[in-house]
Amino acid sequence: MTDTLIKMQNVDKFFGDFQALKNINLEVKRGERIVICGPSGSGKSTLIRCINRLEKHNNGHIFIAGKELTDQVKDIDAVRREVGMVFQSFNLFPHMTIVKNLMLAQRLVRKIKKPEAHKTAMHFLERVKIAEQADKYPVQLSGGQQQRVAIARALCMKPEIILFDEPTSALDPEMINEVLEVMTDLAKEGMTMICVTHEMGFARSVADRIIFMDEGEIVEEAVPEEFFDNPKNERTKQFLSQILTH
Amino acid sequence: MEAVDGWWDDYFWGSMIVLQVFFFSLILMVIFGLIGAAAKLSDNVVAQKIAGAYTIIFRGTPEILVILLLYFGSAITLTAIVQIFSPDTKFVDVPPLWAGTIAIALIVGSYATETFRGAFLGVKEGSIEAARALGMSDLQTFIYVRIPEMWRLALPPFGNHMLSLIKDTALISIIGLNETFFVAKQAIGTTGEPFTMYIVVGGIYLAFSSIVTLSVMGMEKFGARTGEGAR
Amino acid sequence: MDLTLITESVPKILSGIGITFQLMLLSAILGLILAVILLLMRLSGKWYLSWPAQIHIYIFRGTPILVQIFIIYYGLPQFEFVRDSIFWPILREPFGCAVVALTLNTGAYVCEILRGGVLGVDHGILEAGSALGLSAQQKFIYLTTPIAARIALPAYSNDFISLMKATSLASTITLMDMTGIARTIVAQTFAPYEIFISLAIIYMILTWVIQKTFGRIEKYLSHYVNP
Ligand SMILES: Nc1ncnc2c1ncn2[C@@H]1O[C@H](COP(=O)(O)OP(=O)(O)OP(=O)(O)O)[C@@H](O)[C@H]1O
Ligand SMILES: [Mg+2]
Repeated sequence: MTDTLIKMQNVDKFFGDFQALKNINLEVKRGERIVICGPSGSGKSTLIRCINRLEKHNNGHIFIAGKELTDQVKDIDAVRREVGMVFQSFNLFPHMTIVKNLMLAQRLVRKIKKPEAHKTAMHFLERVKIAEQADKYPVQLSGGQQQRVAIARALCMKPEIILFDEPTSALDPEMINEVLEVMTDLAKEGMTMICVTHEMGFARSVADRIIFMDEGEIVEEAVPEEFFDNPKNERTKQFLSQILTH
Repeated sequence: MEAVDGWWDDYFWGSMIVLQVFFFSLILMVIFGLIGAAAKLSDNVVAQKIAGAYTIIFRGTPEILVILLLYFGSAITLTAIVQIFSPDTKFVDVPPLWAGTIAIALIVGSYATETFRGAFLGVKEGSIEAARALGMSDLQTFIYVRIPEMWRLALPPFGNHMLSLIKDTALISIIGLNETFFVAKQAIGTTGEPFTMYIVVGGIYLAFSSIVTLSVMGMEKFGARTGEGAR
Repeated sequence: MDLTLITESVPKILSGIGITFQLMLLSAILGLILAVILLLMRLSGKWYLSWPAQIHIYIFRGTPILVQIFIIYYGLPQFEFVRDSIFWPILREPFGCAVVALTLNTGAYVCEILRGGVLGVDHGILEAGSALGLSAQQKFIYLTTPIAARIALPAYSNDFISLMKATSLASTITLMDMTGIARTIVAQTFAPYEIFISLAIIYMILTWVIQKTFGRIEKYLSHYVNP
């Protein structure tokens, strides 16, 4: 078992001629909590989507738990088994009940028998405090509840790390906290996570490191106190002044 | 394909008849569709009911049946009327071209009714209000905002209606319209090559529908471009 | 209006409803299977599969179904190899030809409808499937298919009605379905109004039944949208 869970080396990503990621170098240790922020279009989503191969990087290397991410389907499957992901728009399977949402991948990917998958599903639904909704359909739940289900769905796969892509930005303000609470609990339990978010309160209290991106580059990387109280880069200062004033 | 030699000119004139039927039925179809849509959108309950019955009847009945009914029905009705004035008349022939043209225009018009109605309702109130706020008059708003927007919404289904008209023309051969189908039947009689002759018919119709499809695609692109410009 | 004529003729016409149903159901089932095959060919990403499917769709949507019926029934027997083939028992009969033509035709239309459904599936849902480690095949079976089916259903029900109406064209190749019977009665009695209007009403009732049935299915499949 290596201590480094994710390692990105000189990663570039192009969409046609447009370079969305420029020479990204990033290392994430087991148990670390990373928050990524930056202006819209700066490449935050692209970065984390490269980690579980929803986007394919063009240059450089990405290692997950020591294994390099290549074109081999086997490698991609192996990586996706270790990496959970939570999306901005929840992306629950609309045609399945909540508990079935949580059981599907367990059964198909991990080949777990139905009763056990059900047990695991209920266990994690309880952890996100939503077990009583197990037999409802996603549309019957509020946004905050749906996002908690999405987190539970990722947890059911027992991932090594969870990636969050702006998990609270599609939510009404009064629902943001219930999701952040669940995420904070996860962090306390030692889950490795990379989280794209603009919730600076959450970043300050939970993150081990904050990464600021702009125009496809990692511009600044620092522990929260330093990041907020003493940012080095001009662009970071500008971004923080914008985001903290409202 | 040698067997077709000597029949090309007949196929050509048959194709002209297809075009003729298409042209007239297109005009009628638009008229029926607009009247139907206007009736459905009106406040008049009777008009709504009639338009509703119109769409239900013509969408629920096979095309061939509508054509047969209109053709034979109008023939005996006309005969009866003529007989009042000149009792010696045995039978009045209704031209299949007209019975058929009206029949397919009525059928496709029932679909167009829904298309036009949907397009009218689909125009966002926001863009209308925005135009008013810019100081446009009602008429200007109608011409510069509502019509182009309706056109954009109605064009794709309208393209399908035109394809239906072209293809339904073939059905009129059943009541004796001398279009390409009819030519093929005659040609088969002398050459004994039904496959060849009907394939030619298929090819002609395929060419017509391709032209319609391409024109609609062209118009959609044009509409998309002007739509972009307006934004 | 001759009422006795109507009461005498309607039972005769209805004796052809069996053929109408057989044509409709057989072609609908075979057409759906064909449509799925064509769709998989189109989505395969391999040109030698996708092109033939697209050509089939282009031809069968671009020509009148009457031409298709005539080519199959009157045209194919022109060739000796067709008459010698194992398909001859089917292609010799007007019923077999009608089913073949309706199947090939509706398959082309339904393929496009299904494709619309597949393209309508929210991309994010499939990404969530990928992120959970589902294979392309698993995503297609467990996510795309059920969601696309619901999206495609209203358009499919319209096509089903078109198919039902198109079965009446079998009467042009001597088949005695409801329309075929009605046409012979009209030829004998020369009472087009009574006979054809009665027949039109029967078809309208069928249309209504099909609409209601699909409405039920749609409601069932949509239970997760409006539970
Ligand atoms: N599939 C794609 N094709 C082309 N360009 C893309 C694609 N995905 C992203 N981009 C571009 O790459 C850049 C980075 O996008 P990305 O989604 O990573 O930004 P982001 O930092 O997550 O922004 P946001 O805060 O808006 O989510 C943007 O300029 C975007 O337009
Ligand atoms: Mg993003």
